[in-house]
Amino acid sequence: MSMTSSSGSTAGRVEAGEAARSDKQQQTTPPPPPPLPLPQARTGGFLGRHRLSAAITRLDQEILSLQEEINELETMDPSSAACQEVLLSMEGKPEPLLPVTRGPEDVSWDRWFQRVRSSRGHKWWTHKGSDFS
Amino acid sequence: MSVAELKERHAAATATVNDLRERLKQKRQLLLDTDVASYALSHGRTPISFSSTDLVCCRTLRGHTGKVYSLDWTPERNRIVSASQDGRLIVWNALTSQKTHAIKLHCAWVMTCAFAPSGQSVACGGLDSACSIFNLNSQVDRDGNIPISRILTGHKGYVSSCQYVPDQETRLITSSGDQTCVLWDITTGQRISVFGGDFPSGHTADVLSLSINSANSNMFVSGSCDATARLWDIRIASRAVRTYHGHEGDVNTVKFFPDGQRFGTGSDDTTCRLFDMRTGHQLQVYSRPHENNDNDVPTVTSIAFSISGRLLFAGYSNGDCYVWDTLVAEVAFNLGTLQNSHEGRISCLGLSSDGSALCTGSWDKNLRIWAFGGHRMVI
Repeated sequence: MSMTSSSGSTAGRVEAGEAARSDKQQQTTPPPPPPLPLPQARTGGFLGRHRLSAAITRLDQEILSLQEEINELETMDPSSAACQEVLLSMEGKPEPLLPVTRGPEDVSWDRWFQRVRSSRGHKWWTHKGSDFS
Repeated sequence: MSVAELKERHAAATATVNDLRERLKQKRQLLLDTDVASYALSHGRTPISFSSTDLVCCRTLRGHTGKVYSLDWTPERNRIVSASQDGRLIVWNALTSQKTHAIKLHCAWVMTCAFAPSGQSVACGGLDSACSIFNLNSQVDRDGNIPISRILTGHKGYVSSCQYVPDQETRLITSSGDQTCVLWDITTGQRISVFGGDFPSGHTADVLSLSINSANSNMFVSGSCDATARLWDIRIASRAVRTYHGHEGDVNTVKFFPDGQRFGTGSDDTTCRLFDMRTGHQLQVYSRPHENNDNDVPTVTSIAFSISGRLLFAGYSNGDCYVWDTLVAEVAFNLGTLQNSHEGRISCLGLSSDGSALCTGSWDKNLRIWAFGGHRMVI
């Protein structure tokens, strides 16, 4: 908001600019602008109603969703059923990062420790148990 | 309807929601008759024991000049893309430790990167709120840089994570600080679906991570600063399929379990958790042993499951990398205690597609590849 009452017009804006410049030249600080009027509380207006309605719609949808989930729980298996599935899903699966694993063993698991030829023609041999970087 | 009446309705609806949440919590508690560890131990499972030379660092990938924030392996299992604070993506041949591409980014503030299923393109995103796609076969420009082949714009906040839909070169999902996830058509650069945002069942804070179910690529899970994980169906963007509660801090990382029926999470609350996708049950909490110094408790930054699901790798903000035994909820090993471990926060980690190697990325600017270097007994 401009300090001058005529800030709506071009002339007013120019005048304000000129005044500011001459103030600077005189090395004096202009008086502080009058405090702005506090914004009107808008909860009573359209915006407040709109926001509240939107929030209520959200909450109503969440209520439906929660009720749905509560109803689902009536027929849901306990956690032990899912725990059993976790165990079964691992049974008999080969695992390259474990000391003891089910077969078949894949020879490519150990490629990280084998002779590598780089594109630059360098060769090196890596041994298990050490850092070859 | 007057504002006063609306306020009354709002208060009543809020009370109903809180009441239903409490009822749901109590009902769910009754169904939690055991957890994975108790069940496994009661069925004769024993903890895994590693010797100190079983898991070894067999490569260090040096080349970034800033903190490493993200990494991803190619499906063909021998290449890695990494994203760093130095404003570069580097594509590595993980076997030879050599860089095959170094891509200078227009915006240095990168947070995430991903390989396309074919391994021919990479995607990245970050504080520019966009996801950039680079075709690795493109002709380099005069400065030797690979040009951007597509920019996906539309998020109103930073892009925290991105992942290609498995076996679909032209579809990618991003998560963002604008509280949404987006499914993109890379060919057109258009958004196909937005998950969350104005919809009632979306996240209520920044989305930090996502994981697409490789067993059913229509489903993906997201983790958020609202302390929840949410399951989404790509075909139904209007609402989350399920919301998973339990964490007491930001959910920094989510990963599907190999069977596609469960997923893991890692959080600022220092724990990892295992959730059952279908029922929503929290099957296990993986809590660090209590330390004397409670001031600086390490948070979980990144997780990955081994190919069978028996191991859960968790990277922490203090440089630890715990190898959890998923079944008995015990730490089988800490890669952070080894002589050649990282010297800073573990920011990202991931497993090669055949499960034979783990790659970790750190704020110490390096990536390290870990593999099984002991004597393997095959039964």
